[in-house]
Amino acid sequence: MTGLYDVSHRNEDGAQKGPKHPVPKGQPILELRGLQKKYGAVEALKPANITFLSGEIHAIVGENGAGKSTLIKLLTGVIRRTAGEVFWCGNPVQLATPNEAISRGINAVHQEVVLCRHLTVAANMFLGDEMNRNGLMRMRAMTDAAQAVLNDLGFNLPAGAVLSDLTIGQQQLVATARAAMRGTQFLIFDEPTAYLTRQESAQLFRLIRRLQAEGVTIVYISHRMEEVFELADRVSVLRDGTHVGTRTIAETNDAELIKMMINRTIEQIYHKEALPIGATIMETRGLSGPGFEDVSLSVRAGEIVGLYGLIGAGRSEFALGLYGRQPVSAGEILWQGQKVDIRNERTAMDLGIALAPESRRDQGLCLNLPIGLNINLPVFDRLTSGLTINRRREIENADRQINDLKIKTPSRRVLASAMSGGNQQKIVIGKWLSHGAKLFIFDEPTVGVDVGTKAEIYRLFARLLEQGAGIILISSYLPEVYELADRLHVFRQGRLVASHTYRSASHEEVLTQAIGV
Amino acid sequence: MSVETTTEAAAAPKKGMNILFGLTLLGLLLFLWLLLGLSTNAFWTSNNISNLLRQGAMTAILAVGQTFVIITAGIDLSVGAVVGFSSVTVAWLLQHGVPLWPAMGITLLIGMLIGAFHAFGIVRMGLPAFIITLATLTSLRGIGLLITNGSTISISDESFTNFSRADFLGIPSLFWMVVVVAIPAYIFLHLSRWGRYLFAVGSNSEAARLSGVNVNRTIYLAYILSSTCAAFVGLLLASRIGIGNATQAEGWELQAIASSVIGGTSLFGAVGSVQGPLLGAFILATINNGANLLNINAFVQRIITGLLIIVIVYFDQLRRRGSR
Repeated sequence: MTGLYDVSHRNEDGAQKGPKHPVPKGQPILELRGLQKKYGAVEALKPANITFLSGEIHAIVGENGAGKSTLIKLLTGVIRRTAGEVFWCGNPVQLATPNEAISRGINAVHQEVVLCRHLTVAANMFLGDEMNRNGLMRMRAMTDAAQAVLNDLGFNLPAGAVLSDLTIGQQQLVATARAAMRGTQFLIFDEPTAYLTRQESAQLFRLIRRLQAEGVTIVYISHRMEEVFELADRVSVLRDGTHVGTRTIAETNDAELIKMMINRTIEQIYHKEALPIGATIMETRGLSGPGFEDVSLSVRAGEIVGLYGLIGAGRSEFALGLYGRQPVSAGEILWQGQKVDIRNERTAMDLGIALAPESRRDQGLCLNLPIGLNINLPVFDRLTSGLTINRRREIENADRQINDLKIKTPSRRVLASAMSGGNQQKIVIGKWLSHGAKLFIFDEPTVGVDVGTKAEIYRLFARLLEQGAGIILISSYLPEVYELADRLHVFRQGRLVASHTYRSASHEEVLTQAIGV
Repeated sequence: MSVETTTEAAAAPKKGMNILFGLTLLGLLLFLWLLLGLSTNAFWTSNNISNLLRQGAMTAILAVGQTFVIITAGIDLSVGAVVGFSSVTVAWLLQHGVPLWPAMGITLLIGMLIGAFHAFGIVRMGLPAFIITLATLTSLRGIGLLITNGSTISISDESFTNFSRADFLGIPSLFWMVVVVAIPAYIFLHLSRWGRYLFAVGSNSEAARLSGVNVNRTIYLAYILSSTCAAFVGLLLASRIGIGNATQAEGWELQAIASSVIGGTSLFGAVGSVQGPLLGAFILATINNGANLLNINAFVQRIITGLLIIVIVYFDQLRRRGSR
């Protein structure tokens, strides 16, 4: 029996959990041979040969869209492979369903917590595997057992607390503890630190090392280089669905990994042209609202103003306040020198502000409606003549954006949900290109977008700037804001804590200001 | 870092599917008519067809209004009660000497106000649509019963009651009322920007809001249209039965929702049309009519209706899954 805390009571009933073929440390535990995944004609993962050794911490790095998520889904049985073979402890396996993966001891901790928010920590840890006596749940016993596990892991969490009362970071730790106590032999972490504080990250790293010491094989997916070098024994690089190579950590360095990941230099991705900077378009003075306080900044024609900070630092909230989505409680907004009162989204749009929001899924798109309708949504009033919409102009406008932005679709009638992340982002941008604006706010425009599309989006920024617009670029990806922004503002806990001109501070400096150490 | 998987090639254009689905429903309706024509002599008589059209007309109008609401991912459970209440309103007004046209106008206005109240409850008070419309369902029945003291108000105005029995070009005037409602409804839903906004709000209200759509106004519009359609049906019903009675139209909200769903409307919102619920309503009316002619127990009719809803919506689910 492996795994840290196998408190599984099913053993008493005779139902064995966990693997039955222990593999000595350093020997292959999971081998992928020519593993491939295709969606229609699109190859999400090209045939990959990767070997995971028992007891190692194996990092997987790659840009957004490189195929990391596809690989996890294949290993955890969420999707089925198109071709190739998988060997578990030397035997070929299907991994056709999540249950098969779990019963073999393969588990994953996802970036976004997939637990029941209304249940207690203990109930979540035992979910689907509850202790019971005569059909009734043994709540007290489960809470005690869960608390023992949490204490032992050094997590200062009450097992009886309701999950939704915890921070995202704490929920992530619960998810990890849940995986740890289930006889896991092979545990995949999908960017686990994205929402964690430094302290929580440190706790998580201790847990990962401890699991490794117990013989658990760890796959650690991240795009944070420093974490990879801190934790991993070996690292595999994915790029555009291709497995580029695997290195031992001791024999590689940042520069090599980044080169493998993007296969092009920074200059080839970021298009930073020196454009003349014009008059001030918009200025905020001491603007406060829900989630942000006392923010003063300005945007001039022809410049990109970058807002950098950790998730929850108040950047998106500031954007929503500026756009009229959230009420502003104090401070003022000057638009081309005039004081304005932006009470709702329509007012903002009419002034000339466009917002491509943070979450395409929740804020950007009507996913189960056609691409054309999504693109035209902000401009239907202009496409209307008399009572009805002018069909010809509606079609023309949608098709123009689809062509201009090279949205890969057979027709404007295809539903937005059928598009990849990059193409969805283009639809969101297309809405605002057809509407037109003087100030464009892009909130995390390249999350989940492949490298090629990223470069296209950056070129588009340059085009907008040439036309005399100003851009607010919100990003949690430092190189992006660092390389693109003419002025870079750092947010922390709802406040603007530092401002820099182009490349006037080092990455470390900016990061330190964002974290606040 | 979740990357949605790419499935461009698989997604079929949507419009062709809608037409296909509409034709399937029409085919089903014609098939039922053919079947009933062959199995009973009484079906293809002008008397019966007129009766069928009258029966279906009122559900059809309710279903169109209901569809607007369902497209915004809402539900309007009150429409049956609004029908009954409106029949009471118009009868009471006529009884108290209000001339016919103002009486009908006031009834429709009260319908609009009921819809506005629903939207107010949803938008301002944050109540689920299911709850606020369920509450008015029971309250309106109560108010109607209070006004009539639990009995009925008979309507003596003959020009009003004759309307429902009249024909125009050989087709019952009640059916013409479906046309009168359906054409503007079609223009509204499929050709105007307001229709697009209903779909957008039903699909993702936050995305619609951030695109400059006035979400609150759109919700007001949907519920006002639904209640006004119901008040209009209340007038037609009062004309048909010649009385105002608060307990009339019991369960019609379910008929309307069923018609809408049979017509391809998705209860999750953002999917629906005008022609779909119309066909759905006449399919239901045909089944009831045919079951009467074939002397099938009225209780069994209800079971058949339930099964039909399951079968049609199941096939629609398969169709949608297939098009993914």
